[in-house]
Amino acid sequence: MPRSLWTGSLSFGLVNVPVALFSGVRDRDLHFRQLHAKDHTPVETHRFCSEEDEEVPYDEIANGYETDDDELVILTDAELAAAAPHRSRTIDIEAFVDLEEVDPIGFDHPYVVVPSGEAEGIQRAYRLLVEVMDRTERAALGRVVMRTKEYLALIRAREGRLVLTTLLWHDEVRPTDPVPTPTKKDRPAKKEVDAAIDLIESFSCDWDPTRYKDEFQKRLRKIVERKAKGETIEVPDEKDEQPSPVPDLMAALERSLEEAKSR
Amino acid sequence: MAPRSLWNGSIVFGLVTVPVKVYTATESKTVRFREVHAKDGGKIEHRRICPKEGKEVDSKEIVRGYQVSARKWVELTDEEIAAAAGPQTRLIDVDHFVPASEIDPVYYEKAYYLGAQDKGRDAYALLHAALEKADRAGVGRWVFHNRERTVIVRPLGDVLALHTMRFADEVVDPSDFDLGTVRRKPTGQEIKMASSLVEGLHTRFDPSDYEDTYREDVLKLIEAKAAGKNIELPEPEETEPADDLLAQLEASLSG
Repeated sequence: MPRSLWTGSLSFGLVNVPVALFSGVRDRDLHFRQLHAKDHTPVETHRFCSEEDEEVPYDEIANGYETDDDELVILTDAELAAAAPHRSRTIDIEAFVDLEEVDPIGFDHPYVVVPSGEAEGIQRAYRLLVEVMDRTERAALGRVVMRTKEYLALIRAREGRLVLTTLLWHDEVRPTDPVPTPTKKDRPAKKEVDAAIDLIESFSCDWDPTRYKDEFQKRLRKIVERKAKGETIEVPDEKDEQPSPVPDLMAALERSLEEAKSR
Repeated sequence: MAPRSLWNGSIVFGLVTVPVKVYTATESKTVRFREVHAKDGGKIEHRRICPKEGKEVDSKEIVRGYQVSARKWVELTDEEIAAAAGPQTRLIDVDHFVPASEIDPVYYEKAYYLGAQDKGRDAYALLHAALEKADRAGVGRWVFHNRERTVIVRPLGDVLALHTMRFADEVVDPSDFDLGTVRRKPTGQEIKMASSLVEGLHTRFDPSDYEDTYREDVLKLIEAKAAGKNIELPEPEETEPADDLLAQLEASLSG
């Protein structure tokens, strides 16, 4: 059973449900350790105070903030928790929205929301929330404070459970205006757009996430196996080729469509 | 000021190439702290210690290893790890298209913007217009920072957005979490009341309606501490657990 990352309560009107948040993502990556080169002893990271040159136990570490006039303000974790005591423990549902109105640009991290406590009242209140969100097809919005950051949280029903996705704040999504975009002069002709749509449609399918495999991790595992057997790993050269843009878009689209049809 | 691009390359769909530059789309605005020693404010340094010798190890004497058995480690260089990314290519091959509305939010990992390069801007404009009209997102693979990822490309306003996507086996199935048993399921009346509570709170989503007020709270706390004020530690809050659901729903609706 994984560890919960946050515990508190989910509050909907006057209904409070004690819940725990678990990560909605599991780490499948191959992990490496730092080793001392000469004898392969795994190296440990220790925290030292630069003032005294002494090792510092974890409970003596605090949060330092440097002000604009170079003054260091020190806050302990307990003091930091005083910034928003209520929101550190409660997710108040503020509103309900339609999921398709929330642009994916702000999606951050997924979590699974699990009721904490076997009591009938807790389990029933949780089920009621799942049932109602499922039926109305609405997603709830609330705020959650985890460690030293507050997130906007989108909560919805999925597979009989509540899942939460943290969202970035609107000022954490950069404006698009500095990004170079085509000018009016570059606007495509209607027949080009139609041909491109034909091409898109001939290669369209449903979203099926199981179709994509992490080839990087697979290759990395193979490399580790081969290295363990003493084989040498050849490092591929960087191919820095930049294909030149096609001179005639329409001709390229037509040829692409022919190729798509002859598949 | 024009932002700096992270990567330059081309999107390929069919025989059409679209030269693009990749930009970061997001940035954290969290109040940042650094680790300090509580008693003297001394900066905390992370030092690498060899437990066998009890001594600090210079970074030149450190290698990266993967444990294959209790005593055996396999050493790998950065270049060998990079070899797993496959051929280092400057192409994002978009070979199929999906309706973006079918993609569950859990799959989105990190967001970028695609900018047009000076050459081939007409191809960028064409891809943007066609994706928008067809209401599709392109799916491809992208080698970035020595790693191959699945990405989608979709129109967002005047630009194309690029999202790295999580793999299916990285995503936790919510039904892996068992729920407790209930003697009685929520009643029709409870569902009806809770639904009207949901509808009463229903609104159009506009991200600019929501501000991170916590940042301000933390900065105020820092100011208070800097002024030498005592920070009162919060008392644990008593929340009333959900006992009488119906009464609580009724009270919520009338309140």
